[in-house]
Amino acid sequence: MAHPNPGLTHLSNALATPGQLSASSSSIDGVPSDLEASIRCAGAQLTQAAGVLLHLSQDIIAQAIVIFTRFWLGADGGSLRIYSVKDVSAAALYLTAKLSFQPTSPRSVLNVYTLLLSREASPLWFVNLRGAPKQPPSADSYTITEGGYQSARLVLLRIESVILRTLSFDTHVALPHTIALTYLQTLGVTDAAVSRRTIEYLNSALFSPQLLYITHQPNALAVAAIYLASREQGCKLVDGEWWEVFDVDREELGFLVVGMKSTEGFMRAEMEKWKSPGKTIPLAVEEVDAEIERSRMMQEGE
Amino acid sequence: MSASKSRWADDDAETEAIIAQRKREKEEKRRAKAEKQRQLEQASKASAPAQSVNELQTANGDSGPPKKRRRLSNDPDGLSSTEEVARGEEQKKVSSLLRFPVREWGPCRHVDNFERLNHIEEGSYGWVSRAKDITTGEIVALKKLKIENSPDGFPVTGLREIQTLLEARHQNVVYLREVVMGNKMDDVFLVMDFFEHDLKTLLDEMREPFLPSETKTLLLQVVGGLEFLHAKWIMHRDLKTSNLLMNNRGEIKLADFGMARYYGDPPPKLTQLVVTLWYRAPELLLGADKYGTEIDMWSIGCIFGELLTKEPLLQGKNEVDQVSKVFALTGPPNSQTWPGFRSLPNAKSLRLPPSSAPSSSGNPPLLPRSRFPYLTNAGMHLLSGLLALNPAARPSAQECLAHPYFREDPRPKPKEMFPTFPSKAGMEKRRRHHTPAAPQRGQEAPELDFAGVFGGAPGGDSGEAGAGFTLRLG
Repeated sequence: MAHPNPGLTHLSNALATPGQLSASSSSIDGVPSDLEASIRCAGAQLTQAAGVLLHLSQDIIAQAIVIFTRFWLGADGGSLRIYSVKDVSAAALYLTAKLSFQPTSPRSVLNVYTLLLSREASPLWFVNLRGAPKQPPSADSYTITEGGYQSARLVLLRIESVILRTLSFDTHVALPHTIALTYLQTLGVTDAAVSRRTIEYLNSALFSPQLLYITHQPNALAVAAIYLASREQGCKLVDGEWWEVFDVDREELGFLVVGMKSTEGFMRAEMEKWKSPGKTIPLAVEEVDAEIERSRMMQEGE
Repeated sequence: MSASKSRWADDDAETEAIIAQRKREKEEKRRAKAEKQRQLEQASKASAPAQSVNELQTANGDSGPPKKRRRLSNDPDGLSSTEEVARGEEQKKVSSLLRFPVREWGPCRHVDNFERLNHIEEGSYGWVSRAKDITTGEIVALKKLKIENSPDGFPVTGLREIQTLLEARHQNVVYLREVVMGNKMDDVFLVMDFFEHDLKTLLDEMREPFLPSETKTLLLQVVGGLEFLHAKWIMHRDLKTSNLLMNNRGEIKLADFGMARYYGDPPPKLTQLVVTLWYRAPELLLGADKYGTEIDMWSIGCIFGELLTKEPLLQGKNEVDQVSKVFALTGPPNSQTWPGFRSLPNAKSLRLPPSSAPSSSGNPPLLPRSRFPYLTNAGMHLLSGLLALNPAARPSAQECLAHPYFREDPRPKPKEMFPTFPSKAGMEKRRRHHTPAAPQRGQEAPELDFAGVFGGAPGGDSGEAGAGFTLRLG
């Protein structure tokens, strides 16, 4: 077997260890694993939505989601009963943008998060089940006061430091998107629909409950997305085990294909599960505590 | 071992006897391979999420695994022609997949894991001290980042320094071992390999400059490290002799990435307030907000000159003085040697002497020979290229490495043959150098008036007198 090639560092990522995947700080603190998955997925969607509203490019948003996801893993990671998902999402996005070519200000970030977390005005289904209102509600419901901004800013900057410490300041995230485009060119695929579908699969995989971005290297993610996209679009690729050319074995490809295909089902199940009125995915520590308390009482009642 | 058995092997085995046999052979190989792989942890990593997938699927209940399994392979195509499968497998026998370096993440350690020995230096972006790793006994350099009530959270310069150092793993770039934290939120330390010397202090202490062969070895290493950085889309932006660390084995490394950052194509907006004044390229002095790796090459030219003469080449007192010192060395720019310099922001106030006689021919023009009397023609050509006013005329790091100067006699001295020097950083507190500090981030870029650059006095160039004869053997 070939030795790891140190020249490939910039194309590869730090991956979660089995220990980090099996025990999270939240599970130690008594957060049920299905609730943890729901909250983490909602946090990733929140980050994505905020990134779009901040006009950040998708590579920055994707990196922020990966950093956000890494933060919660392992016994040394962050716990949902200590850190609020909404704060970590905002800080991860702010931090990633700061290191990118499109830095943004705490003010912009907090304005956007105030809107997205507003129960009246948010377009996110897991915050506001009715969706974005047709008539804008009163501005108070989605704008931040000056005092609110000052204290939220301090929280943002504190959580930024917490993320950095939890990840030992390693902010490197290699993404599969550009790799996928290179592979598509190498495979001679000219169909724009296949490329678009590939990118769509890669972006959806950011929300995967199997944490594909932190268990697999970007080249494997790219190959799996191309495999799915070309199948779906009826685009014939070369004969033979072409994925081996891109250093992915069949086993890994198979796993990733299943993982990417199942993300949609997971999201649908999530919407079904959290659809009942008055129930929202908890995005702050108090809400998580309340939700755990509620489900415990439900169980005891049965 | 059964865990590593392919989940798809059974399905295929039932289809055809020949294929089944081949598959089994293949399976054997794969199993052997997987076992080796296990030692690299990668395989075990994949198995943990695999379980969660199964759980999820049973929970959802909808998409049954068999349907998906069939999607995974190219069997529908492959089955029709057995030969193709066979050929594919023959290829498989020889194929070996590239493995990516496996890294992990975990929380920062505490600085108490290190025992501080002595203070080394206060740099532009932090305090450096020599320390001992308590568990391993290794001597390291500990650099405390300056994080003073930054309004935007963790300073982006510190983040970039860590990010670029982690990416720049090269034998001529200082090795960042880890980042550790102190008790307070803003106590952050970089743990790096300790080096006995920095080039600035060393040159100050030496009675004679390095021999030509030694100069070549040093320069090759510095440019080699820089070539690696540029290939990784990293600009250093603060190259100077005090940021070059040396050990007693003739090795030299680029350090202090406090100004380093990624650049791109097209280039992002960049601050012109970079690079310590004496090493700052003319396009920066003239206020260019679009610049590239050429600014690092100018600094290399200044370092080259400093290695030759032991003295910093262009010691301007301020920006205006620096510009006049630069033009005194290179001759004033004209539209031939530097097309387009007139459009730079600060060039408007620049009044050039009316009859700037076209200096020595060639583009870029050669520097005055009298300043570097012992340098060969090839060396002169390289230095003049690096110190070309026009950024486009400067050689890239890669071109620099291929320059004939490094191939002519005296050849670069083997690193093992390097002399050793007593280490200032190792034992005692260093005296502060008088190199000006790197520009502070967030400073206003000064409005510069260069009207006085050639004010009356014909440049500060008093060194035209020829040098005496000396014979030194490389």
